Amino acid sequence: MTVSAKYLDVFLKGSAIVFCLLTTSCALNQNDQGHSEMALTTRQVMNWVLDPNADLIWDSAGFEITADGVEDLAPASDEQWLAVRNSSAAIIEVGNILLMPTHYRDDAVWSRWVRDLQSTGMQLLATAESRDSTRLFSLGGELFEACQSCHDHYITQ
Amino acid sequence: MTKDSCRFALFFWISTVCCEGWGHHSFAAEFDVNRPIEIVGRVTKVQWINPHAWIHVRTERGLGEEGLGEEVWMIEGGTPNTLFRRGINRDTVPIGIKVIVRGYQAKSGETIANGRELMLPDGRKLLFGPSSGVASGQDSKSF
Repeated sequence: MTVSAKYLDVFLKGSAIVFCLLTTSCALNQNDQGHSEMALTTRQVMNWVLDPNADLIWDSAGFEITADGVEDLAPASDEQWLAVRNSSAAIIEVGNILLMPTHYRDDAVWSRWVRDLQSTGMQLLATAESRDSTRLFSLGGELFEACQSCHDHYITQ
Repeated sequence: MTKDSCRFALFFWISTVCCEGWGHHSFAAEFDVNRPIEIVGRVTKVQWINPHAWIHVRTERGLGEEGLGEEVWMIEGGTPNTLFRRGINRDTVPIGIKVIVRGYQAKSGETIANGRELMLPDGRKLLFGPSSGVASGQDSKSF
């Protein structure tokens, strides 16, 4: 093997090693950032993750009025308040899911509305801890407004 | 096609093709803007709940005929927060009063409607619908 051929051989082997290191590094970096091929569609996240938790919040406050009287739907037990807390936490984390590359919409409003959703979730969490049913009812309305604003922009148009 | 373009195309497809599958449907998904309805009857139930307030109205059709032909309509309104900002609260529409409701029938054919305007016995008219979309009153029909 000539000297130049030897250098070429080393260069090619070195290049291959550098290429492998770079691709491995990128893959590791992707994993570090939480990227995964295993993900739900945005529709599934909405219907299967966000919606059931929002429903629990909405079903946990309000009033039903008939000729027989007024029924207060507010949580009446520790278990029911814990369920409100858990759904509040889920709503906050759904916001993080919606900011992941699989679902992220790269425009000015997507992030803002996701943050609105998470902000409402944080307030719901605090309300679950303080067990304030009046505030829970009001925040339920704000939760819907956060959902509706986003739907009006991305779905109704 | 770049990764971002793919992402946008997927999102657009989901948004446009699958929108009716999302929870808490839009007005267009559940109600028919081409089927306006006027309901006259007495209020039997008020649900002051999120995400929409509801009133239940028993129509007077069939009264005097041993109740035959009576119908109970469920009228969907805006969120309680929205209604409250318009001066409506859970006691504004008492049980038993006679109301006239204008709105749009459900596509399902059930006795469900999206309420737009609600008239009380004293002649007051309440904007009962949601704050966005067709049901908010972009059309010209009114009492």
